[in-house]
Amino acid sequence: MIQLEKIYKWHNNGNNRVFILKDINLTIEEGAFISVMGPSGSGKSTLLNIIGMLDEPSEGSYRFLEQDVYTIKEKQRSELYKQNIGFVFQAYHLIDELTVYENIETPLLYQNIKTAERQAMVADILDRFNIVGKKDLFPVQLSGGQQQLVGIARALIAKPKLLLADEPTGNLNSKQGEEIMELFKKINEEDGVTIIQVTHSEKNAAYGKQIINLLDGRIEK
Amino acid sequence: MIRNYFKTAFRSFQKNRFFTAINLVGLTIGFTCCILMGLYIQNELSYDRFQQKGTRIARVVMAYSFGEKVNKGNYTSTKVAPVFKRNFPEVETAIRMYQATRIVKHEDKVFNEKKFMYADSTFFDMFSFRLLQGNKAIVLEGPNKVLLTETAARKYFGNTNPVGKTLYIAASQTPYLITGILQDCPENSQIKFDFLASFSSMGNIQEKTYWNANYTTYLLLKNEQSFASLQSKIPGFMKKEMADQPNTYVSFELEPFNRVHLYSPYPGFEPNNSITYIYIICAVALLILFIACFTYINLGTASSIERAKEVGVRKVLGADKSQIFWQHIGESLLLCFLSIIISLLLVLLALPWFNGLADKNIQLTAIFTPLNLAFLGSIWLLISFAGGSYPALVLSGFQPIKVLKGLFRNSSSGLLVRKSLIVFQFMISVFLIVATVVIQQQMQYIRNKNLGYQREHVLLFPLDQKMLENYPTIKTELKKNAGILSVARAVSDPTHIEGGYNMRSDEMPPNGQLSVTATPIDDGYVNTNGLQLVAGTNITEQDLLNADELKHPEDLVMQFILNEAAAKELGWTAKTAIGKKMFLGDDRPGYVKGVVKDFHFQSLHNTIQPLVLFPSSWSSQMMVKLDGNHLSQTIAAIGEQWKKMVPHRPFEYRFMDDAFNQLYESENRLAKVLSVFAGIAIVLACLGLFGLSSFSAQQRIKEIGIRKVLGASLVQIVTILSKEFILLSLIAFILAFPIGWWAVNLWLQDFSYRITIHWSLFALTGIATILLALVTVAFRAAKAALANPVKSLRTE
Repeated sequence: MIQLEKIYKWHNNGNNRVFILKDINLTIEEGAFISVMGPSGSGKSTLLNIIGMLDEPSEGSYRFLEQDVYTIKEKQRSELYKQNIGFVFQAYHLIDELTVYENIETPLLYQNIKTAERQAMVADILDRFNIVGKKDLFPVQLSGGQQQLVGIARALIAKPKLLLADEPTGNLNSKQGEEIMELFKKINEEDGVTIIQVTHSEKNAAYGKQIINLLDGRIEK
Repeated sequence: MIRNYFKTAFRSFQKNRFFTAINLVGLTIGFTCCILMGLYIQNELSYDRFQQKGTRIARVVMAYSFGEKVNKGNYTSTKVAPVFKRNFPEVETAIRMYQATRIVKHEDKVFNEKKFMYADSTFFDMFSFRLLQGNKAIVLEGPNKVLLTETAARKYFGNTNPVGKTLYIAASQTPYLITGILQDCPENSQIKFDFLASFSSMGNIQEKTYWNANYTTYLLLKNEQSFASLQSKIPGFMKKEMADQPNTYVSFELEPFNRVHLYSPYPGFEPNNSITYIYIICAVALLILFIACFTYINLGTASSIERAKEVGVRKVLGADKSQIFWQHIGESLLLCFLSIIISLLLVLLALPWFNGLADKNIQLTAIFTPLNLAFLGSIWLLISFAGGSYPALVLSGFQPIKVLKGLFRNSSSGLLVRKSLIVFQFMISVFLIVATVVIQQQMQYIRNKNLGYQREHVLLFPLDQKMLENYPTIKTELKKNAGILSVARAVSDPTHIEGGYNMRSDEMPPNGQLSVTATPIDDGYVNTNGLQLVAGTNITEQDLLNADELKHPEDLVMQFILNEAAAKELGWTAKTAIGKKMFLGDDRPGYVKGVVKDFHFQSLHNTIQPLVLFPSSWSSQMMVKLDGNHLSQTIAAIGEQWKKMVPHRPFEYRFMDDAFNQLYESENRLAKVLSVFAGIAIVLACLGLFGLSSFSAQQRIKEIGIRKVLGASLVQIVTILSKEFILLSLIAFILAFPIGWWAVNLWLQDFSYRITIHWSLFALTGIATILLALVTVAFRAAKAALANPVKSLRTE
C-alpha cells in the first residue's frame, strides 16, 4: 500500500543543513497497524505528515496504492487523499463552531456526497461510536475523551483505507487512552483499516502489530 | 455545503461578537452614507431628464459690452425669440418665459404666489409638462389665460373643477380665465411653477430692443447637431442687428438645456447646483465606503489567526484552496448582505433628516427601481469581494500542518497591508476634517465679515404698484412705530445688486463708456442699510422729485451716489468726485452728490465692482430697519398696520439676513453635508483602529502578562501597545497634510474674499487626530494592561 524510498527531509539553517528525516525506506502493507515511536524531535510527526500528504520530503519517492504521489497531478493527489486517508490529532482539532454531527459530516461535504447518503453515513457512525445522544452538542461541551471519539469518527466517516493518528491519546487520561486504543484495534481488525499511529507510550505502542523506532530521523533496525 | 458554510459563518459571527459588531456597524454606516449620497446624486443627475425634447432645447444667454469687459447673463429681451425663429431655419420654435410673484385672489382666498410663471403659447411644443385638462394648442393663446397645477387648483378650489372659472391676479386684480389643469411639476425640474399664464398677459411683448433683458428665452432646435452651426451664425447676425449702436456689442450664446442645472454659471428659475459639488459628494461617499471596507479587510486579516485552526482542520478533512476561499467570500457576502438590509432600514429613518440637510424631497421608493437594485447588488458583490477576498486569500493559503502545530505566525506582508490601510483611513479622515474646518471657517468669515452695510433686523417686503402709489402714507404710518428706525424702498437690497449700465464722466468723450452696476434707490436707502458716506451727502426728497424721468424728460438732472470703486473708475477720489458731472447711460445726466464706502453688494465670490445708486421712484421692495428690541412685538404691530394700509396683500416679509444667507446656499449646504460625513468618517476610522488595537492587545496578552510579572507599570504597557498606532496616525497626518492644503486652497480660489489658512489649523487638526487615535487605542490597551497576568499566562 505504501512504499517510501530514500526519503530525506531537511531545513536549511544558515549554511547548515538540519536533517529531520534521513534515508527512510519503508513498505507498509494494507491491514497493518504500526506504532511509530521515538524521542521528541526524532521526526515521527514529519514522517506521519509525509505519509498523510500534508507535507513533502526534500528528496525521495512515495507510492501510495500503486500511484507515485509526487508525479501525479495536484487534483488527483487531492482525490487520493480525500478518499483514502483519515487524520486524528492529539489536540482533537474539532471545529468549534460546528456541532458533533456537523463536524463528522464535514469530510463528506468536501467529497460532494448527496444529503441522504450523508445523513445515513453519519447516523451509522454515531450509532457505532455510541455518541448519538451527543450529536447536537458543540466540542466545548464534551470531555477530552469524547472529543477524541468524535475526532476518530470524523476521520473514519469517509471510509478511508488508512488512518493516521498523531499521539491520539496524548491529552487523555489512561482510562480514556485505553478505550481509544481498543477502538483502534477493533477498527483495524474488523474493518481492515490500516493504522499508523505516533506515540510516546510503550503501552499504547503495544496495541500495534509492528513498532517502528525513529532516532534522529533514521529508522532504527 | 452552502448550509454548512452559512452555519459556520453565523456561529463564528456569534463567537466573535465584538469584531462582528464592529464590522457590521462600520459597513452599515458606510452603506447608509453611500445609499443616501447615491440617491442625492441620482436625483441631481436626473434633473430635467423627463423633458422628451431636452437635448434639442437651448437656453439663450446674452453677452453684452460697452467697452472691453463683456457681461453675460441668462436673461434676454422679448425680441430674441421671435427674431431668431424667423431668421434661423435651425430653430423649430422659440418661447419666452418670465417668473413673477403675484397676488392671486379667488373669493376670500388671497395668497402671494411666488411661482407664477408666464410663457408663450407654444410652451407645450417644447416642454413635456403634462396637461391634465385643456387643449395644448390653445390653453395659452391670448392674454389673461392661466393654467393651474393640481396642487394650486386644490388650494383655491378644493375639489371643484376650476376650468372655466376666473382668478384675480396681481394688485390690479386683473381677471384671468382658467383654461386647464397641469400635473404638478416634477421635483427634479429646473422649471417649477404653480401657475402658468400666457405671456401676452404681460402686455409688453414688444420687438423694439435687445435691451431690457428680463426674460428667459428657450429655443427648440430641429436637430441636436445644429447647436454649433447656429451658434456660429449668431455673432454676425447680431452685428447687423445692432448696426445702429456702434459702441455696443450684443450677442447671444446657446446653452444646452440639460446642462443648465449642473454646469451653468447662470442660475435658472431656481439656484443651480454645481457638478463640482456632485463630484465632491461622490468622492466623499466613496471615501467613506473605502474606510468601512478597509476596517473590514483589516479585522478580517487580523482575525485570520483565530480562524486559522478551523481552516487547517478543514484542509486536513479534504477541503481544497478554492473551497476555503469561497467559504470566506460567502461569509463576506452574508455580512455585507446583513449590513445592506440594516442600511436600508437606516436610510428609511434618516431620509427625512437627509432631505432637510440636502434640501430635497427624495422618497425611499426611489431605491427600488430595477437599475438601483442592480447597482445595490453590484455594490454588495463588490464590497463582499473587495473586503473578503484578501482575508480569504490569506486564509486559504495557510499550510495546515503549520497552523495545527502552532507554528503559524502572521506574515509581515499582511502586517504591512494592515498598516497601510490604517494610514489610508486616517489620511481620508484628516483630509475630510481639514476640508470641513476650512469650509466652516470660510463660512464663518463670510457671516462675520463687515460687508459695509448692516443686515441685522432689516425686514424686506415686496412692493407693488398699488403700494407704491400709497408709499408716502405707508412710510409715515410705519415711522410712528417706536420700534422702527427707518424705512426705504428700492429695487435691490444691498445683499445682491444687479443691473448692467454704462457710465461716463463729463471729462470723457461721449463714446468712452464704462460698464457699471447701478440700481435705483430713495432717500432712506443709505441710512436704512447702514451704508457709510465717506464724502458728500445723502440724496434728499427733493432730489427724488427732481429725478422723476417722466416729469422732467428734457431738463433731467440727477444726484448720484457712487461707491469708492466707481469714483476711482471715473478717475476721482471720494473727495474730488463730489459735485462732478457724469452720465449714467446717455439719458441720465447728473452730478455726484455722495460717495459711500465700498460694500459687498454681491457675494464674496466677486470683488467689489463700481456701483452707482441713483434716485428714482422705480421700486420693487421696501426695507424696514428695526431697533432690535422686542422684535416680535414690533413685527406684530407692523402686521396690524399692514391690514389697514395694504389690505390687498397678505402680510409677508423676510429678514435681510436670510436673503444674505441665500447667496451662500450651496456652500452652506456643502459645509453641512461635509461636516456630517467627515464626522462619520472619523468615527469609522476610529472604529477600525479600535478593532485592530483590541485585536493586537488580545494577540499580545501573553507578552503583557510576562511584562507585568516582570514589573511593568500600567503606563509602560499602554505605551507599548499604543506606540505603533500613534505612529501610524502621525504618518497619515503627514501624508494628508499637503493633499488637504492643496484641495482647500482650490476651493477657496472661488472666493475673492477668503480666509488665509494658518499653519495652526493643520497643527490643531493633527493634534486632534492623534489624540483621538490615542484615546481609542489607549482605552483598549489599558483594559489589557489591567487584566490579571496569572489568567492570561495560564491560557498558554
